[in-house]
Amino acid sequence: MSTRNRTPLYRKYRDALRSVRVPVASSLPSSSSAASSGGRAGPVIEMVSTSLLHPARSYAPLSTEDPSNSSPAHLTVSLPPAWVDLSEEISVNMQHARKKMSDLVKAHEKDLMPSFGDGKEDQHAIEVLTHDITYLLKKSEKQLMKISSSAPSGDSNIRKNVQRSLATDLQNLSMELRKKQSLYLKRLREQKEGQDGFDLNMNMNGNRPTMEDDEFDDIGFSEHQMSQLEKNEAFTREREREIAQVVESVNELAQIMKDLSVLVIDQGTIIDRIDHNIQNVASSVEKGYKELHKVLSLCLRRKNTKKRRNGYVCDSSCHNVLHYAGPPNTKGITLLINTNTNWNKSSGRGRYSVAGLFRGNPCILFFFNDLPCVFTYSLYFIPSFLWN
Amino acid sequence: MVLVSLVRDYIGRMLQDIPGMKVLVLDSQTVSIVSVAYSQSELLKKEVFLVELVDSMSKETMAHLKAVYFLRPTTENIQKLRRQLVKPRFGEYHLFFSNILKITQIQVLADSDEQEIVHQVQEFFADFCAIDPYHFTFNMPMNHIYMLPTVVDPPTFQSFCDRAVDGIAGVFLALKRRPVIRYQRTSDIAKRIAQESAKLMYEQETSLFDFRRTEFSPLLLVIDRRDDPVTPLLNQWTYQAMVHELIGIEDNKVDLTNVGKVANEQQEVVLSSEQDSFFKANMYENFGDLGMNIKTMVDEFQQIAKSNQNIQTIEDMSKFVNNYPEYRKMQGNVSKHVTLVTEMSRIVQERKLMIVSQTEQELACNSGQAAAFETVTNLLNNEDISDIDRLRLVMLYALRYEKESPVQLMQLFNKLASHSAKYKPGLVQFLLKQAGVDKRIGDLYGNRDLLSIARNMARGIKGVENVYTQHQPLLFQTMENIIKGRLKDVDYPFIGNHFQQGRPQDVVIFIVGGTTYEEARAVALHNASNPGTRFILGGSVVLNSKRFLRDLEEAQTISRTSHAV
Repeated sequence: MSTRNRTPLYRKYRDALRSVRVPVASSLPSSSSAASSGGRAGPVIEMVSTSLLHPARSYAPLSTEDPSNSSPAHLTVSLPPAWVDLSEEISVNMQHARKKMSDLVKAHEKDLMPSFGDGKEDQHAIEVLTHDITYLLKKSEKQLMKISSSAPSGDSNIRKNVQRSLATDLQNLSMELRKKQSLYLKRLREQKEGQDGFDLNMNMNGNRPTMEDDEFDDIGFSEHQMSQLEKNEAFTREREREIAQVVESVNELAQIMKDLSVLVIDQGTIIDRIDHNIQNVASSVEKGYKELHKVLSLCLRRKNTKKRRNGYVCDSSCHNVLHYAGPPNTKGITLLINTNTNWNKSSGRGRYSVAGLFRGNPCILFFFNDLPCVFTYSLYFIPSFLWN
Repeated sequence: MVLVSLVRDYIGRMLQDIPGMKVLVLDSQTVSIVSVAYSQSELLKKEVFLVELVDSMSKETMAHLKAVYFLRPTTENIQKLRRQLVKPRFGEYHLFFSNILKITQIQVLADSDEQEIVHQVQEFFADFCAIDPYHFTFNMPMNHIYMLPTVVDPPTFQSFCDRAVDGIAGVFLALKRRPVIRYQRTSDIAKRIAQESAKLMYEQETSLFDFRRTEFSPLLLVIDRRDDPVTPLLNQWTYQAMVHELIGIEDNKVDLTNVGKVANEQQEVVLSSEQDSFFKANMYENFGDLGMNIKTMVDEFQQIAKSNQNIQTIEDMSKFVNNYPEYRKMQGNVSKHVTLVTEMSRIVQERKLMIVSQTEQELACNSGQAAAFETVTNLLNNEDISDIDRLRLVMLYALRYEKESPVQLMQLFNKLASHSAKYKPGLVQFLLKQAGVDKRIGDLYGNRDLLSIARNMARGIKGVENVYTQHQPLLFQTMENIIKGRLKDVDYPFIGNHFQQGRPQDVVIFIVGGTTYEEARAVALHNASNPGTRFILGGSVVLNSKRFLRDLEEAQTISRTSHAV
């Protein structure tokens, strides 16, 4: 399988052309990045140089420009969004869980081996480990859910995909844990039963002569039998306890898996196809626009009526309104409001206007008590820095 | 190495050395190329959390992502890339192209990369859509252009040839071989593609193609669809070919939205031999055996479902929860296949395809002009037969008995025109002009020389296993000839002074105008039974009868309106 590297040739041309080019634009070298050690997430801080000739004024919540910088090149510091930290945390947790699971396997082995002690410390260690792992998994799951519920921003697709990938790993981990536990449980049961069975056999053989002796004393059990019975009961109780614990953790894990199964992609299905996912994004934009037209037509129909009910619905929870954001991106995630429509300058309530897609939902822009408001399917607080 | 794994290796290598969160940017062609070989979940494992098209007008800056571009090196793509380099949205740019870049293109890119965000520029030659291990396609638009002479539309013709040559070069670069090239003498376009490929591989990019020479060079054979017009016209009865013929497969996806009542998640399904083991085992089985195998699968599934409902102990519960993902996957798979087979059965019933196909197979395989004429006439008179089936029957008859009884042929044409409202008159004649007996060199009906006539008679006496699958595409004969070294130089000349001694071990057959799944099946089965030589089949598109007829119609329309023809 052959490939060809054109980078040296490319660099040669780039350097040659750079020296030829008029040096108005930036000439700072390109990004320096600090890659994280685990390679899990991207660099935390990136320095990207932009030139004055290309002001990036569009809606870019991740970058802040320094307008006071009058030098030919100024830096844009951009931080990855907050959920990246969450995802890093989750993967660190899962690493810990994986390590603990290998310890758990070792502890299982140790417990199952015949030993002289009563195995209480082993049991304790197993309990602690199991508890820790389950706790880690649950915490990861909660954080995973948090990723989606944090304030919706432009990169919802990426977030969804990150979620999916972490969910798959989490699900695999919990299934592995459950398998190991059930295996341990099975072997435990086998062992205990073996012991009991053996003991019972002993009892049967051992008691026969005494039974003959105690022909007339058949009420109650002999001491030997009593102690044996107590031991059996103790075993049973302990076994029940262990089983109950394992069952509890199984249930917890089952709950996690149920929640995760929503997120995880089934391999081999249509959802697992790249072209299907790209198409979906495009078609959801289409659908959004269709919805928008529907809303608009409703809007226009009601414009001339006296009772403008829609306007009253939106109460003062709308604060500022984005005046103009920019052309829509094909994902339909950023806001577009085209304000070149006829703004009815007269004051009053319920003036409607053309709206667009706000965070993927069609919305209506109108005035309520002379305050511009955005009415969508849900109410949004629009941060003031977007006010333009 | 099989084609799919070649593409997968390329994509894997693109992504593996770049740590961190990535975005993969593709164009409309490379989307198909990547989608058939790599799944979304595998991309996620490689930390690719976003996939975009290069046409996307998104303005969102995501500097914490590294961009991996995988595009075809076309002028439009270079322009789009230029604009994006000038206003970068991502932190780093890694550019991969699926074919050879021109020097000017590299210069253009270097010029627009003022901020020096491009870290690498590489050529990774995954320029073909590997739909099956031994079957690739290019999904070319304007496929009908191959039927027209160059002068009608030179630029489109040239871009068709260029895409074919680039794609074939990609295949051989991926295989790391440089082939000996042969082409079908009677086809100008095949000759042109063969010559341009030779020029590329032996003159223009000699160093790139200079691979270790093996004892037997591989063979590239460029042939024309019109040498075997019968195969795309026939109705199919083996699973993969049948689905494509009756419903339609595109990049291993089947669109079921037009099919009656289908559950939501079955609206579009994936039929990939790499991911679906049931499909892999049954894709070449005929309809009858397929039905039995599906029934077995459904029974097995019902057993499992029943036992799942019978949960009594905690152990059962935990076992159920453990096995639930596999259970769900199995359920999806079973319902997918059941839906497909149900829909195909319905279509077979509706269009009376059992009768139609029997006649088609007779026309393709057996002789007997008078009987054939009578059967075809009866079917034409039959009201239940759809227009497209009537058209196909007349075409098959015409291709076989072109010279034998012109009067009766005319009668059939008239009958066809009178019955079918949508039929464009002259289409059958156009087909004969394109692919009639004078234009073909292959022995399509096995009636050219004594040996094949004798062979056919023997087969007729012996009887066939299954009337509906008795047809063997001409490709099968070609493959046999290649193995035995009996491919005539007169009919399939070598380019330049190439020569091949003995039999090749690797053969790539490229059919200009498109392949069919029936031929792909023949190739796969042949490879399985003859491990000495490995055949790979590719074409400009994958045809079924609808598409073939559409190409004919479009070519006919253009040739009518064009003055040059």
